[in-house]
Amino acid sequence: MLSYGPVSGHSGTFFEDLAVGQEFTSPGRTVTEADIVIFAGLSGDYNVLHTDAEHMKTSIFGERIAHGLLGLSIEQGLATRGEPAAAHGVLSGLKWKFKGPIKIGDTVHVRSRITAKKDGPDASRGLVAVERQLVNQLGEVVQEGETEHAVERRPE
Amino acid sequence: MREAAAAPVQCFFEDVEVNVPLETPGITLTRAHVTLFTGITGEAGQADADTVPSLLPLCLSSGLGWRVPRPPLAVLAFMGFEWRFLASLRVGDTIHSVSRTLTKRNMRDAGVVIEERKIVNQREETVQAGKLTLLVARRPET
Repeated sequence: MLSYGPVSGHSGTFFEDLAVGQEFTSPGRTVTEADIVIFAGLSGDYNVLHTDAEHMKTSIFGERIAHGLLGLSIEQGLATRGEPAAAHGVLSGLKWKFKGPIKIGDTVHVRSRITAKKDGPDASRGLVAVERQLVNQLGEVVQEGETEHAVERRPE
Repeated sequence: MREAAAAPVQCFFEDVEVNVPLETPGITLTRAHVTLFTGITGEAGQADADTVPSLLPLCLSSGLGWRVPRPPLAVLAFMGFEWRFLASLRVGDTIHSVSRTLTKRNMRDAGVVIEERKIVNQREETVQAGKLTLLVARRPET
């Protein structure tokens, strides 16, 4: 049967299927002006950094830049396309650094690596720590950090 | 030549007060928010349309911060943050955020502000919380 990925229910990947050291690379995505405009509208964050092209000509960036949280949101979306579903299960925590700007037209992708597995909040779930980098077309790491996810254990 | 727009009215590093709680108005989470957000992220495999994606409340809280009786903070850069997701949210829940500045530190050309923020639901339960590090502009000399 032809399948386009999980529509509902469980993906079939469980805590037990993930191993420390596993690495993933996502597809790329070009960040557009529309992404920034929609994100400003959705979040209500209209900081001139993201919305005033003329003001930004005089800034160190020289142009509008994406919201940091837009970059992180895109990162999380890309991760769902480059990792087994379990490796980006329900977020329980994150530590994140915004290291450089994402400008309109930049193309980013995600590099990730599972760094730890430990017991979870209850017997049915474990915690997986994943180190993540958002990388632009020049190979520069523009954002990086660690996310922690609660992942279902394989039912007995 | 372009006429300069008015400088935005902003809260500069000098104006930031440590330890003063700031509470935002609320916002009700709707399916429209979820649809727009998953459209932006491109998140695949969303099984339940009424589950709010984990990062959405945090993104909305940055806009809620513009709806308090204080000009928006003159943020030059969002440097980083640590965040805990304590409980999930559903469409129909109403959130607001409560924040305060923990510390402020002078840098050469700007200042670093560490803000504690929590997101609270309609039952006053804290659903997400953490600390944000922001680079804030000094008041320009006139």
